[in-house]
Amino acid sequence: MVIHWFTYCLDEAFGSLWRQRGSVAFSVLTIAAALLVLGGFLLVTENLDRAVSKWSAAAEFSIYLRDDISQDQRVSLNALLSAHPVVASREYVSKADAAQRFKRDFPDLAAGLLDLPQNPLPASIEVRVHPRRAGAAAVEAFARELQQAPGVADVRFDRRWLERLGGIATGLRWAGWMLGGVLIAAAVLTVATVVRLALHARRDEVDIMQLMGAPISLLRGPLVFEGLLQGGLGALVALAVLYPVYVIVRQQFATALGPALDLALVGFLPPGISVLLVLGGMGVGCAGGFVAARHVR
Amino acid sequence: MIETSHLSKVYGRGIYALRDVSVVIEKGEFVFLTGPSGAGKSTLLRLLLRQETPSEGSVTVAGRDLARLSLSQAQTYRRGLGFVFQDFKLIQSKTVLDNVGLVPRVLGATSVQQQRRTFQVLKWLGLQHRMNAFPLELSGGEQQRVAIARALVNEPSLILADEPTGNLDPDLSLEIMNLFRDINARGTTVLVATHDRELMRHVGRRTLTLDHGRLVETR
Repeated sequence: MVIHWFTYCLDEAFGSLWRQRGSVAFSVLTIAAALLVLGGFLLVTENLDRAVSKWSAAAEFSIYLRDDISQDQRVSLNALLSAHPVVASREYVSKADAAQRFKRDFPDLAAGLLDLPQNPLPASIEVRVHPRRAGAAAVEAFARELQQAPGVADVRFDRRWLERLGGIATGLRWAGWMLGGVLIAAAVLTVATVVRLALHARRDEVDIMQLMGAPISLLRGPLVFEGLLQGGLGALVALAVLYPVYVIVRQQFATALGPALDLALVGFLPPGISVLLVLGGMGVGCAGGFVAARHVR
Repeated sequence: MIETSHLSKVYGRGIYALRDVSVVIEKGEFVFLTGPSGAGKSTLLRLLLRQETPSEGSVTVAGRDLARLSLSQAQTYRRGLGFVFQDFKLIQSKTVLDNVGLVPRVLGATSVQQQRRTFQVLKWLGLQHRMNAFPLELSGGEQQRVAIARALVNEPSLILADEPTGNLDPDLSLEIMNLFRDINARGTTVLVATHDRELMRHVGRRTLTLDHGRLVETR
């Protein structure tokens, strides 16, 4: 019985979509526009998230040592770094090395440094974080732990710009959901209207079926399926438009920014989100179908 | 089979379409329902089809009080009925085969059962050679026979017909009425609303006469 219901609803829904193809195309494009906006925002935020996560994990941090650090403190600090899984490698930079670097990087200011009676630059350890093993939170926690270690003057792990980038991603995601939400509401109403038009076109048929004693699920089912198919089609159209746009934009970035941008970081929506977008589109269409189906009593 | 008790139907501002109608129609009977336009014939049929519910009194079919049926129970009840209307109510976009086959289809019959039942009833009504035609390609008499085929395909225990010969010439009307007589001879209860006195005289069955919503005569 369920298979009969399913095949009947699907048959009728396909038939109706074909008969009303003009208005259905309009409805599908409305859903596609709504999901294109939402998908576009998701694509941007997904890539920003990916970049933030990767940059956070791959970040380096510097441990500045106190001038009076003891040998024992230095040994225990090294032991701490050796034992921790997020540490990929480390390099000790002595006070003399730091002065050398300063002279090399800021030659104009180097004279001032040489005039000082004592080298003011601290020795440091530059730590590179293991990108696969370290989440941003783990690195941050480790940096805080090091800050408390004896002999450590300061730990520099500047995440502010990454946090800002993360904030932008969150803001964009919310903006996407809000704008997408408004467009989705419009899409639900469009689907409902188109399905109601189809219902009016089939009014006689539905009336006759009611007189025959057709179960209410058989009368309403095709309308819900119609909405569902419109939503699914709309989502597929949105993805079909979004992908070439993504490819073109990616190529533009590659040309304009060249090696400055790690293109491996830029990707299309993950399969899970793409599937969710299609399911969401079907859900939107289904909601529109339900709104229209309520008129069958 | 059918029993109405002090049945009334009121529309709008106290306008009675039916007033205090009490009738009993036995199982297997063939009954005509007649009266002038606006007498309440169609209202009674709509009540029997459970398209309307009584304002007063009750209507019972095969022991079921129609006013008490839920939406899904009403649909189940209708599956035991066949209906025929003056305007045929055929789906123009479907062939004869699909129009008739729609009933077993919506009621969950398998494709094989659906085809067998549909073909049997079309053959009985002499429509097997027209089964791939669309309603607009058929004559009025053929269209009405398709509507009757659709009413019969589910082997209902009760057939309700509202002016089934209203759009047909006298010869075709007689042909259709003879069909109803044959259907009744197989044990199906038939209630036909008509104002064609000639036909009623020809068929010669019990007649209920309504006027201004009241039952004024039973012969």
